[in-house]
Amino acid sequence: MNRQTTLTINRKKYVVDLQGHETLLEVLRDHLGLTGTKSSCDDAECGACTVHINGHAMLSCITLARDVAGEEITTIEGLAQGDDLHPIQQTFLDHGAVQCGFCIPGMIMSSKALLDKNSKPSQEEMEYALDGNICRCAGYLKMFNAIREAGKIMGARPQANSEKETS
Amino acid sequence: MPIPVNKNYTNPVGKSIPRIDGRGIVTGQTQYAFDVRFPNMLVGKMLRSPHAHARILSIDTSKAEQLPGVRAIITAKDTDNIKFGSNEFFFPHTVDQMALESEKVRYIGDEIGAVAALDEETAQEALKLIDVQYEILPAVFDVEEAMKPDAPQIHDALNNIAVILPVNFGNPDRTIKEADYVREDVFYCPAAHHTAMEPHVCVARWETSSDQITLWASTQAPFKCREALAKTLKKNLNDVRVIKMAVGGGFGGKLEMLPMDFAACLLSKKAGGLPVKICLNREEEFSYTRRKHGMIYKIKSGVKKDGTLVAMTGEVIADGGAYCSYGPTVLAAAIMRIFMVYKIQHFRVSGYRVYTNTPISGAMRGFGGVQSGFAIESHMDMLAEGIDMDPIEFRLKNITSPNMTTVNKMIISSNGLKECIEKASGAADWKTKRGKQKHVCRGIGIGIAADVMGSKMYKSHESAGSIVKVEEDGSVYLFTGAADTGQGSNTALSQIACQELGVSFSRIKCTSGDTEITPFDTGSFASRVTFISGNATILAARDAKRQILEIVAHQHSLNVEDLDIQAESVRHLKSHSSFMSFDKALDLCYSFNYGKQIIGRGSYNPKTTPIDFRTGEGNVSGSYSFEAQIAEVEVNKETGEVKILKIWDAHDIGKAINPQSVEGQIEGSLAMGIGYTFLENLQFKKGRVANPNFANYRLPRAMGTAPVESILIETNDPQGPFGAKGMGEASLIPTSAAIANAIYDAVGIRLKELPFTPDKIIKALKEKDTSQK
Repeated sequence: MNRQTTLTINRKKYVVDLQGHETLLEVLRDHLGLTGTKSSCDDAECGACTVHINGHAMLSCITLARDVAGEEITTIEGLAQGDDLHPIQQTFLDHGAVQCGFCIPGMIMSSKALLDKNSKPSQEEMEYALDGNICRCAGYLKMFNAIREAGKIMGARPQANSEKETS
Repeated sequence: MPIPVNKNYTNPVGKSIPRIDGRGIVTGQTQYAFDVRFPNMLVGKMLRSPHAHARILSIDTSKAEQLPGVRAIITAKDTDNIKFGSNEFFFPHTVDQMALESEKVRYIGDEIGAVAALDEETAQEALKLIDVQYEILPAVFDVEEAMKPDAPQIHDALNNIAVILPVNFGNPDRTIKEADYVREDVFYCPAAHHTAMEPHVCVARWETSSDQITLWASTQAPFKCREALAKTLKKNLNDVRVIKMAVGGGFGGKLEMLPMDFAACLLSKKAGGLPVKICLNREEEFSYTRRKHGMIYKIKSGVKKDGTLVAMTGEVIADGGAYCSYGPTVLAAAIMRIFMVYKIQHFRVSGYRVYTNTPISGAMRGFGGVQSGFAIESHMDMLAEGIDMDPIEFRLKNITSPNMTTVNKMIISSNGLKECIEKASGAADWKTKRGKQKHVCRGIGIGIAADVMGSKMYKSHESAGSIVKVEEDGSVYLFTGAADTGQGSNTALSQIACQELGVSFSRIKCTSGDTEITPFDTGSFASRVTFISGNATILAARDAKRQILEIVAHQHSLNVEDLDIQAESVRHLKSHSSFMSFDKALDLCYSFNYGKQIIGRGSYNPKTTPIDFRTGEGNVSGSYSFEAQIAEVEVNKETGEVKILKIWDAHDIGKAINPQSVEGQIEGSLAMGIGYTFLENLQFKKGRVANPNFANYRLPRAMGTAPVESILIETNDPQGPFGAKGMGEASLIPTSAAIANAIYDAVGIRLKELPFTPDKIIKALKEKDTSQK
């Protein structure tokens, strides 16, 4: 029944044995040890499991791993370049947007999907982009500051750290 | 090579230094208990009661034992049937929960056994194969029904009342007759859930050869967890190691050992020492952990025309659910918090902590304060209106002051409450706005609060320990028992250690909350860590500094009292000159002649007096923090929706060790307060949680996030580390009332039942229209 499937995650190829029913979340965390992606509801309600598929923010808890074979998958582990944090990671840290941190990988992936398309989002655009991600500790305000600041940095150097979008 | 020094953070206290552990979080490398996995790790699942109230007749596990893949099954037969509880010092009779119940189940979800298997599916299948025979008993779900004489008896407690608290001072019945205006109100507060983003999860390994138990835990109180595990497993404290991993939020829900922690350990032993992981899913998290107490808060007060609050009487009924947990002290706090805020002399409020066949109520951020804050602060506005006085003027007339002893013998030293009210109302432009925006359905309202820092609930003490260890290259370790659950205590305590030691923040690393390698600490609750663990950390850093300076003094024939370390150098205090660098001083300590290891230690237990729960008298905390909050709202009369235009929050925090982190606590606490005001309501249907998911239990999300202006008031507390006081909980205590008072100012409706859903607002608006016609 098992089928060897190749997944492209953070620009690396991973070959995994899949039965077919496994979610991308399960494969990332349980098969590949990429535990940066979290899960809080396993029910598409909280956004903690957000990853990028071809630059779009997607919920890995409701994405079948076999359906994204051949696509560009990016997780929180794929954002930093060596020791250099991605601007969104850096501004989340600098602006105190991080408390317990359990929502943060998903929050950063949702923020990045927004900023990759629009480096100067309005307040409403930021609220809309983060509305699927629950944070229970921090109350979002410092995240908005972090996103605005990261947008400035990313807008100034549009090529850096940005995934190529496929349409 | 000396380690590079970041000059910006040479004097770190008072600076907004990013989280010391933040890089791991933003890169996904930080390990939570949720992420812990070992080779050959088994999956554990709890066997839970499907009935709200039943007697256990028999449990047959034989079929489940035969299922391939099952490695261990436990029931009460495998335990010593030792009860555990959280108020054992003050209320020993409330230690009422068994790690695995053997005779009776008291709510849907009560734990009676557990299974460990190779995978989740096998564990689930095994649970189905366990045959439990029950005799179903009548159950009671409503708190007032439970108090009736003919109600089903859940424990051996008359009328299901676990604890009665009679808080009584002066002569309220006589003095209320002197009042010019008297009113009585009843407020209803629903149950709510902490909903930490990381669910309850643990991994246990019982190494049978050495009899060593290790629990990788998501806990706010690793030492309390260890104590409860050791007690129920009949082990010494040093047989049990609890390692607090990064914790994905707690908010009071992860203060206690749960039966799952106990079960994971015992399953591991029975499985020959293989590690066992138990992780709750979101439905289990909502249904079977802990919850906020629903409360009915009845109060009657009298005031004089000049605004003097003369007397208050009342009754508070707390829905406790199936077991006591922290309930008795939550109830005590719900009644006694008023003494920190108002100078009331004549007072009698009786509290009842009542059992029902519903999930267990315990500690939740605010610890009874959120319910009492809503009731008292709404009631105060109504009293002020009754004598035609501005709510702020009324409060200023009655609030506590610095350096006073309250009627129940709380000793208040620093107190910035007056300044909080003045600064918040100034920033909000209260005088211009109050009562003057009704034409656009806008209104402004205030609520005030105070909080403790510590409560001595762990076996009567509130001890925290710290170790500051300085290595030969001048790098520094801080070992603290305090549990960083996301609030940033590792960062704040490291700032305190570096400031006292006189070195840059870049030198330090912090290890916290591991019962085998860090000193004892009672845990993260009661807004206590900055104040209490901070004081322990100052003492440890001071001890380490003294050890370094004694060597310098000896070598150079100086008096050690004349030396200090400040900003990376040893300074001669009399000549105000830099004597040698910190690095050179360390070279000396670790040199041929001295070879002295620098290990400083500190232990701190605040000076307080125990509360006498028969009267409510006692000084629970070493200091008190204060808070005033103002909300401005706009009500949509068509839809019943309320938009928060802005919240101003002025908080007396003594001294902001890390201002950004303080603001983060205010904003996050407020968000939780706003959630409880408008959205959150844990509902039950015949004892079962009816909304155990994020679709039906709604939380504040990004859309419509209210702007917040934090105003930090630094009163420099004489007992606090660098003047700091505890914070983190006070900010959600007045929120519901500030909003209720603002809604009243906007559209003239008085809401007494949380949450303020649009249907309640529409109904109240209709009732107001009808009564005016």
